[in-house]
Amino acid sequence: MDATTVLAEINGNIATVGYGLAAIGPAIGIGIVVGKTIEGVARQPELAGRLQVLMYIGIAFTEALAFIGIATYFIFTGN
Amino acid sequence: MLHAVIAAATEEAAKNPLIPEWYDIIWSAVCFVVIFFFFWKLVLPKMQKLLDDRAEAIEGNIAKADDAQRKAEAALVQYTAQLADARAEAGQIRDQARTDGQRIVAEHKDQAAAEAGRIAASAKAQIEAERQAAVVSLRSEVGTLAIDLASGVIGESLSNDAKASAIVDRFLAELEANEVPAHAAAPAAGKI
Amino acid sequence: MVPSATGDGEFHGPSINEFFPDVIFFADTPFEINRIILIRFIAVAVLMLVFWLGTRRMKIIPTRGQSLAEMGLDFVRVNIAEDLLGKKDGKRFLPLLTTIFFMVLFMNLTGIIPFLNIAGTSVIGVPLLLGIIAYATFIYAGVKKNPAKFFRNSLFPPGVPVGLYIIVTPIEFISTFLVRPFTLTLRLMMNMIVGHLLLVLFFSATQFFFFTADGGFKLFGAGTLVFGFAFTLFEVLIALLQAYIFALLTAVYIQLALAEEH
Repeated sequence: MDATTVLAEINGNIATVGYGLAAIGPAIGIGIVVGKTIEGVARQPELAGRLQVLMYIGIAFTEALAFIGIATYFIFTGN
Repeated sequence: MLHAVIAAATEEAAKNPLIPEWYDIIWSAVCFVVIFFFFWKLVLPKMQKLLDDRAEAIEGNIAKADDAQRKAEAALVQYTAQLADARAEAGQIRDQARTDGQRIVAEHKDQAAAEAGRIAASAKAQIEAERQAAVVSLRSEVGTLAIDLASGVIGESLSNDAKASAIVDRFLAELEANEVPAHAAAPAAGKI
Repeated sequence: MVPSATGDGEFHGPSINEFFPDVIFFADTPFEINRIILIRFIAVAVLMLVFWLGTRRMKIIPTRGQSLAEMGLDFVRVNIAEDLLGKKDGKRFLPLLTTIFFMVLFMNLTGIIPFLNIAGTSVIGVPLLLGIIAYATFIYAGVKKNPAKFFRNSLFPPGVPVGLYIIVTPIEFISTFLVRPFTLTLRLMMNMIVGHLLLVLFFSATQFFFFTADGGFKLFGAGTLVFGFAFTLFEVLIALLQAYIFALLTAVYIQLALAEEH
């Protein structure tokens, strides 16, 4: 292994970077969902229970994308 | 160095966690079925029964409470009626007492007035009798005194004389005749 | 969890092979039993023991154990089933939702229990099975209520201009009939896999820093230990939340299938 190759080498798996990118969207999405729920509760505290359920459903849908992100590595390396 | 690790890992033929194995699915299904029947046939019916029992117990308590409420209301009505009766009775007694009192006072007043009248009448009669007695005694006294006086004046006794007595009687009759108008006029001027 | 610090002075991170331990019984048959399967059996046994003890003698005025079991059952009954499906349908699907909730919960919790240390739901079997059951249930609910209306509402949502159905219908088909079970499965499994890998990473790093690394690096061990502990607590929350979300989403899908209008 000569010096130039060693300098240019990046160890690890490109999927890590891919997951980092895939996590951005859901992260923002969950932030928005939770933030809006807090806003809603601040406006109408009596709806807190209902809004909380909706928030969890919203988080669940958004979060799923992040987990699909993890899964893509296994889907595309598949054996 | 990491090459070595990765190489070692790949040598073990890294499995794909997304591909299910048959044994995995089968045992999962067994677990699921066991838990499902456990909840479906055993736990949830018990729970449902408990909830029903509890609802029933609560309803029973409510009914009991209703009963107690109704009883209390009945008692209240009864007490109120009794109270009203008692009040009416008290009012009646008070009225009775008032009229009785008035009656008694009036009676006493009448009695007192009658007594007073009686006393006044007897006093008047007594006074009249005394006056009459006084008049009678005065008349005889005055006659004697006048004859005495006249005897003194004339100088001799006139006492046993029928003539003298006749004079005195005449004089007195005259006096009485004069006295009558004076007597009649006297009340107009006041009794004394 | 096997700390991977071997004698060679190198750090070995966790790998995906954690989830494929050696077979213990019945090798090479469809009834193989390995460590994770045994952990699942333990979870099932504990679950049944807890609820058997909790509901053995039901009294109107609950004892402490009974009120605990009641609290758990009431949580599913009130907050998930009756809240989303209403009294009548909630009662119909209550056994399924209760099973899903407690199965997922107890199998998630094995991930942080010492000596078990791996979640029963972190291998695809349980999440996939439950995902398929949820999928079959909501389709069954919709078809039984009114087949034509169910498919019309899910594939041709009302209130969309006719021309747009060319785009909307495939999207609805994919999102309703393909993505739903897939996301249910993946969400649960990946949560557990990632949670387990993180814990293994923290604790094996702690082991490595304390016993293999030299000098100042030993200090890092304290940091990784604290993080490992914090993530253990976080995993408890995740275990509850994932169980709740799995049951909640199943209820939501059933509710959508039963809804008159989409």
